[in-house]
Amino acid sequence: MSQTGKDEILGRLKAAPKKAIPPRPAVPPLNELALNREETIGKFVENLTSLGCEVHRVRDPGEALAKLTEIARAAGLKRILASEDDVVAPLDLPGWGRQNDIEVFTPKDCRDREDFKRIAFEEAQAGVTGVDFGVAESGTLCLIHDASQPRLVSLAPIRHIVIVPADRIRPVYETVTDKLFAAEGTAPSHLTFITGPSMTADIQATLFAGMHGPKDVTVILVEETAA
Amino acid sequence: MKIKTEQFQATAREELKTRHTRTHLDLVGLLLREKRQATMGLFPDPAAALDLGRTIRAEAVERLPELLEQFERNAAARGAVVTWARDAREANDHILRIAKEHNVRLVTKGKSMVTEETGLNEVLLKNGIEVFETDLGEFIIQLLEKPPYHIVGPALNIPVRQICDLFLDKGIMKEPTLDPVELGHAARIFLRDKFHYVEMGITGVNMAVAETGTIINVENEGNIRLTKSSPRIQVSVMTLEKVVPTMRDAMHMLRLLCRNSTGQLLGSYVSMDTGPHGKGELDGPEELHIVILDNGRSSFYRDTEAREILRCIRCGACMLECPVYGKIGGYPYGWAYSGPMGQVLNPLMLGQERTRDLYRACTFCGACKAVCPAGIDHPRKFLSYRAGDARGDPTYGAKRRPWTERSFMEMFTWATKRRWRWDLGLRSVRPFINRHAREGFIRNMKGPLAGWFKSRDFPGMAPKTFHDGMHKRGK
Ligand code: SF4
Repeated sequence: MSQTGKDEILGRLKAAPKKAIPPRPAVPPLNELALNREETIGKFVENLTSLGCEVHRVRDPGEALAKLTEIARAAGLKRILASEDDVVAPLDLPGWGRQNDIEVFTPKDCRDREDFKRIAFEEAQAGVTGVDFGVAESGTLCLIHDASQPRLVSLAPIRHIVIVPADRIRPVYETVTDKLFAAEGTAPSHLTFITGPSMTADIQATLFAGMHGPKDVTVILVEETAA
Repeated sequence: MKIKTEQFQATAREELKTRHTRTHLDLVGLLLREKRQATMGLFPDPAAALDLGRTIRAEAVERLPELLEQFERNAAARGAVVTWARDAREANDHILRIAKEHNVRLVTKGKSMVTEETGLNEVLLKNGIEVFETDLGEFIIQLLEKPPYHIVGPALNIPVRQICDLFLDKGIMKEPTLDPVELGHAARIFLRDKFHYVEMGITGVNMAVAETGTIINVENEGNIRLTKSSPRIQVSVMTLEKVVPTMRDAMHMLRLLCRNSTGQLLGSYVSMDTGPHGKGELDGPEELHIVILDNGRSSFYRDTEAREILRCIRCGACMLECPVYGKIGGYPYGWAYSGPMGQVLNPLMLGQERTRDLYRACTFCGACKAVCPAGIDHPRKFLSYRAGDARGDPTYGAKRRPWTERSFMEMFTWATKRRWRWDLGLRSVRPFINRHAREGFIRNMKGPLAGWFKSRDFPGMAPKTFHDGMHKRGK
């Protein structure tokens, strides 16, 4: 079916009369593009906060771990699923977990897909990830998914704890996508923009968080990262 | 899905009786409008931003064949399997075949109007495959076996008590509750198992980027992400107009879509697939199938006016702005697509004969056109369908209007074409009209015009026309 179907559909589209393509209007650049570093970070935090996300600003990775301990204690977390992306991996969360009596699962520990899914859906009380970028204009967390950043870590557990290096915050989406989609064949196979917790308003327009994904998204914003 | 567009009037009458539906919709509409205006106002120049969106959609539709080929090339280069389906049947057969090849027993779905259009669920269920809608609203209406009420909030109108009874009845939960949050939680728990063990995920597509071969989904709940992350097979179905030229265009449309549909800066989750998952990944699809569905669209594409509806990005803003939709809700429109966008699209897809009430249910206030981020001129389309009816134009299966209406209109046209005829006509109908007027208005009338007067009043006529009066003074 596909070849003839395709030919038929495209044939009809191509045979149709053409109309002029309207010229693109000039649009002033978004306000975020004019912000300096501190203002950009400020906008990012402001947007996250208005989405109901907790944001903790810390100086360095050491403080980030201390904050993580505090959060885990307060929430009584015993089992955490962590990704192995380049923000989280250097923190050695499995080691941190042993010190704090918290079981930390990482993708490496998982035998296979089923094992990983079992941990993500049944075991983990929280998922911990880094980000590839943060976007100020809407308080968005951008995650590129690959072997070190499985999709379910930031999605299946009821709580998502995100570690955001301040120097990864960009003003607008295009500053991220221009870079990621610049060359052919190099675009990430899966890219996610996370903006706040999982929400719904489907029953009588009552808004609440934690529908299918995380109910709480907690951000630890790290001023200076090691490398 | 059963098409019930012919029953527009009857369903509308029923819906007008359910007061609950109306007051509630009014509130939701007000709230959303406020949020939309606030977020749109954050653009440095909101009018220019809207204009750019409209231009992008217009360009995408004008360049459709070229962009689709480019999209297919790029998506295939990254390992996605792209299939073209001429109609609903081909699309459903194809998806069923994929499911059977992989022995799929359990499917979860993200909300997609297009599979609503093709009736995919029924086909899968008939073949012994379990299918779960996972968007909370879609989940509820799937259990209720009802059509979507609104393209963004499909179950907005269902009272909490009814959802509670439904969930108890279907074993979704054990204890009754009227708290929407707890009802949502019960659905979360119930669907979690499905997400864990799902074997094939089916989603719609919000945008397909020609330049990169990427498909984009926007959502708030996370059910689409779960549907794309957990199973090994992902099938994403798009109607052919979903394509946009570049990633930059997609980002701009994303802003407009979210602000106009829910008044958010961005939906909670935007997920973008460029091919299936990479090497060594523990989740995500091993196979990514993209189905491009035509289902009649390429046929009306030849009509440069009709193709304008293909610009629609399904934001739902026109519905909440529409005073008619605001009163009668989504059911009377009788199909997956309701409100002004459905009133434009349905006649092209289903033919004018079965949809003639749809494009008459309009006050021509123009609110839909004013808000539309895709630049669709809905009222103008309604007029052209109505003109098609008057001519008995077979292009979209219009059926001629009754001879009484036609001859009345012909007479009217004849009378208005010459000044002296018009003046004479006025003078001769004045006594007749004024005899029927009560307190300056004719409110009803017997005979062939009875229907017209059912919902309208006609003002009585002044003893003299303005013109006559001026004439006299001048003398
Ligand atoms: S017609 Fe315009 S306003 Fe209505 S849903 Fe489509 S894009 Fe939105």
